[in-house]
Amino acid sequence: MTATVTPPPTIPPVQKRAQGGLRGFWNAQPVVRLRREGAMPPLAAFLVFFVVYVIINPELLTRFQLQTASNLVVPLAFAALAQLLIVLVGGIDISIGAIMSLSNVVFATAMVSLPVPLAILAGLATGLVCGLFNGFLVAFGKLPAIAVTLASAFIIGSISREVMDRPGGGITEQFYLATSGELFPYMPVSLFWLILAAVGLWLLLQRTALGRHIYGVGSNVESVRAAGLNARGAQLAAFALSGVVAALGAIMLAGSTLTGDPRSGDPYLLNSIAAVALAGASFAGGKGSILGTILAACTLGLVGNLLFFAGINSYWQYVIAALIVISVVGIPVISRQISTAVRGIKA
Amino acid sequence: MTATLPPASQSDGLAEPDDSDRRSAFSRITSRVPRSAWPLIVFALLFLIGGIIRPNLLSVDSLIGTATFAMILAIASFGQTVAVIGAGIDLSVPNTIAFAALSFLTWSGTIGPVPALFAAVGAGAVIGIVNGLVVSKLGLTPIVTTIAMNGLLFGIVLLSFKNSELTVIPDFLTNITATKLDLFGVKIAAVLPLGLALLVVLQLILSFSGFGRSLFVVGSAPETANLAGLPVDRIRITSYALSGALAAFAGIVIVGFYAQASATMGASYLLGSVAAVVVGGASIFGGRGSMVGTLGGALVLGQVATLVSVANLGSNIQQLIYGVIVLIVIALYGRRGSE
Amino acid sequence: MASRTPPPQDIETATVASVEPAATAAAASAAPGAVLVEVRDLIKHYGAVHAVDDVTFDVRAGEVHALVGENGAGKSTVAKMLAGAVSSTSGSITVDGSPLAGGSVRDARKAGVTCAFQELALVPDWTVAENLRLPDGAPLKGFSQKKATAAARELLAGLELAHIDPAAPVSTLSLADRQQVEIARAIAAKPKVLILDEASSALAPPGVQWLFRRIRELTATGSSVIYVSHRLGELAEIADRGTVLRDGRVAGSFVRGSWTDDQLISMMAGREATRHFPSAPPLSSTAPHPALDVENLVSSGVDGVTFRVEAGEILGVGGLQGHGQAELLRALFGAAPARADRWSIAGKHIRRLSPVSAVRHGAGYVPEDRKREGLALGLGVGENLVTPWLRTFGLGGRPLLASQGGWIKNVLASLSVRTRGPLEHAGALSGGNQQKLVFGRWTDRDRKLVLLHDPTRGIDVRAKQELYDAIIELSRQGVGVVWFSTEVEELVHVCHRVLVLYRGGIADELQGDRLTADAVVGAAVGAKTR
Repeated sequence: MTATVTPPPTIPPVQKRAQGGLRGFWNAQPVVRLRREGAMPPLAAFLVFFVVYVIINPELLTRFQLQTASNLVVPLAFAALAQLLIVLVGGIDISIGAIMSLSNVVFATAMVSLPVPLAILAGLATGLVCGLFNGFLVAFGKLPAIAVTLASAFIIGSISREVMDRPGGGITEQFYLATSGELFPYMPVSLFWLILAAVGLWLLLQRTALGRHIYGVGSNVESVRAAGLNARGAQLAAFALSGVVAALGAIMLAGSTLTGDPRSGDPYLLNSIAAVALAGASFAGGKGSILGTILAACTLGLVGNLLFFAGINSYWQYVIAALIVISVVGIPVISRQISTAVRGIKA
Repeated sequence: MTATLPPASQSDGLAEPDDSDRRSAFSRITSRVPRSAWPLIVFALLFLIGGIIRPNLLSVDSLIGTATFAMILAIASFGQTVAVIGAGIDLSVPNTIAFAALSFLTWSGTIGPVPALFAAVGAGAVIGIVNGLVVSKLGLTPIVTTIAMNGLLFGIVLLSFKNSELTVIPDFLTNITATKLDLFGVKIAAVLPLGLALLVVLQLILSFSGFGRSLFVVGSAPETANLAGLPVDRIRITSYALSGALAAFAGIVIVGFYAQASATMGASYLLGSVAAVVVGGASIFGGRGSMVGTLGGALVLGQVATLVSVANLGSNIQQLIYGVIVLIVIALYGRRGSE
Repeated sequence: MASRTPPPQDIETATVASVEPAATAAAASAAPGAVLVEVRDLIKHYGAVHAVDDVTFDVRAGEVHALVGENGAGKSTVAKMLAGAVSSTSGSITVDGSPLAGGSVRDARKAGVTCAFQELALVPDWTVAENLRLPDGAPLKGFSQKKATAAARELLAGLELAHIDPAAPVSTLSLADRQQVEIARAIAAKPKVLILDEASSALAPPGVQWLFRRIRELTATGSSVIYVSHRLGELAEIADRGTVLRDGRVAGSFVRGSWTDDQLISMMAGREATRHFPSAPPLSSTAPHPALDVENLVSSGVDGVTFRVEAGEILGVGGLQGHGQAELLRALFGAAPARADRWSIAGKHIRRLSPVSAVRHGAGYVPEDRKREGLALGLGVGENLVTPWLRTFGLGGRPLLASQGGWIKNVLASLSVRTRGPLEHAGALSGGNQQKLVFGRWTDRDRKLVLLHDPTRGIDVRAKQELYDAIIELSRQGVGVVWFSTEVEELVHVCHRVLVLYRGGIADELQGDRLTADAVVGAAVGAKTR
């Protein structure tokens, strides 16, 4: 039946894109990649938010307010990046707050007796071990991430309260300056560390094969495995890396608050997930951008501040943050539905 | 993989032809035990172990005590069970509980306790409907949607209620929850029969109604349900509405039993309700789960709490053990890709 | 194989093709005709299930070795063991003299064995370039999009695939393009042994010819190709030798030119079976309305389609993959938004359709992917059958199964579904039986219109025959059937009338004498034969 030889259908060759200007920029490969990863809505949301913020409170652009704002936002940005790594491999991390709490108290406790670099190492190692624990169960135990991290949220949370039952620890003033002070006028140190970490993470995700594997695993594990790649290794790497990034956030948090607190990570569970959702990442995995995540974290983290300066009851921040997440994710869907309906009427 | 037909009753083993040949006689027998019975068996074992450690734990009073605690957790987790079976999750349970409890107390002063009960449960259903609409019409994932809803409700609760005014619990509510009933010489809290009645009704709906079975199809294969002509969106929205209404009901029960309400009263039910559902044998991927199993899961967690407090280990260790139990349970039957 | 009857196929192509490898393989590393792959006593058990039992065969350098058998015969498992995707229980595989450890796709690739899998092993969110380039790099090595895209563009151009954009994500490609990328990736590793596991399933005839050119290039260098396929016509053209599997064991072997379709089928089925297409019953329309009537139907991928289906008519839909057939069926069932100037099902006027209202109007749909779209694998056989008939406020579960027991029993019996009963998991059934469940839920349910999306794809010969009979039975009951098939022979033999789609529109309508395989294929590539 297939022996009949027929001429192949003629398909016009793909035309090389060679436009200039805005169109060219919009279609440039890195921009296409950002769009594909869902970074445009959070970028737009951030710009709108930022403009509104500066109009209501021009003081943001003073040295002091920049510093406080960035100290507020940076731990959330780290938490969101850690969550993003897990979401990229198709999971979700319910234990992220607990990991931050544990790294936070381990670091703060270590600061009492150990030199700073060792204390930082201890904090990061804590995050790494937590990440490996989750990652091992998910990648090699083949257990669902949401259930594993639910269990480890209980376990890690209770360990952190065993380590330190009430806020305390030995964070020094110097450490506060090193994490939350100013690098030079108008440049908060915390922002510098965040940018450094983000660039490192970006290089890893976009410029190494491992990073592409992490995206691939979230897109389709079976395919990655069938291509002869180490899918489990990539999953484990994502979890381990996520633990380290969460620990970085916990250390920044300890620095800016000058204390270790066994419940300090709790608020970051829901906020990190909200930030990743706002960043346009796909919770099925394989899609999400670092830039979008950081901007989404900044937007969500500053809602409360904005309300304060606008003289509105700051409890509204919870309502507004929820509405931002739902509308930024929902508006594209609704506009798509409307546009298909309009096209349907025309046709 | 065990069957879910119906989840609460016998003979799941019948539906295991592919696996049964390659199993030992022992595991063939165990495979005939329905999944929802496992948590109950584990609870019985834990109860006996408690009796060995401390003989006075092996009493009806101790059993009733644990069961009462577990029943409250179970009532708070019934809604979660519905959401999880439909391949969703409801992380807005904590603040739905707080919102319903506080609004019930506020409204019962003006419109009377019974109308307030219906109004608060209705408000819970509306919360659920909004969740369901966002999930099914906007395509936002259930986790994100319900987390956002949880935050939104937190804001609303903080903005609308002043806790200090809400200390009067209506008698009606106390009567249906905290009052001790005398049953064959045993004193039990009214919340126990209330919860059991709710369980029976919900389990019957899940196992033997068109809606219940449709929910299982939607949970295990949404595209299949759609292409078989089932109203998938409506089923999803209904399941979230049910989840919200049940969480609201749980909030009222909690306020009646513990006689106190606050904006953060639901916080421990965020992970607690999911844990009870998972320990109860539901699949976090949807399409599997039962009310009986969830009660079993809550009983296991409750008995652990009893044992921990008897052994003087503190609530911290209790949380740790909860985590280990959830891990063990998912390691036993939460495996992905075993088909 | 005992018989030596000459094949009915195109002998000219066959002989030409068989001369080619012998002439050019001299340049290759392995001597022509020498054994390149030795498979000895290969066994794979899944628990007590013997998926592959004592399979032994050789593949010579420079030959195309076919692996054929019904579904579940174990050929895919053998292919996967060779490719390293599945580890064997026992037995040995030797490639070019050195044993293959097995259980690792990576090791197999290093040993020179690559595979284009039936379930596409491409990562949907990766670009074509990433899919082509990433499998060969170490995880900690750097990766440049620019370089990968350039390398991929060159590779694709060299394989006559210049129309595929290397920077496009794979998920945006058509199924046929994806399959070609998958094959290109396997070829790009310059394998000693290339395994093609149903690699032509989504390819149209021109694509199949493209594949054959690639195979001949490869065998000319002394490499071997293991070709797993259902399509007997392709085997006649490309296979030098072949091994037939049945129930996990070797049932026989064949060499070029020594077999007929019927012999091969009976070897696969283990009984005397002929490839038999029942023909459609004569149309005797007594119904007052046509089963379906649409004018200028527009949906995404469907561009103004007008046709009627009479009650009891079997209307075939043909065409190349991705020319709107799938979209047409989804639109007709309301699963994709669509509009039409005039649209009615069994006389009932339609303005907007959803799957729910489609079922209410008397339509049924057998979707493409039975595992994801057709069944709830974790639920029972009975529950899967009654799924469309669940009512929110009605009964469900056991009470419903009891009240519908007679109907369920009837459906299972009339389609000869091999199952232990209505409580067995649908996931435990074989592919063919699962397909019968998806089909069976619409039978004897007063349907006016049943839409079939390639229901016979990837199921065994016996199940195919049973489905043909069931479709004929639907027609006899006065149900209008719209049947999209990728197998041209089915359309030609079983349907009353065939619409061929091309770029979302109807390229031709074939009926009576004009309904021939050549006409269908001709119309499918846009060469209108009026």
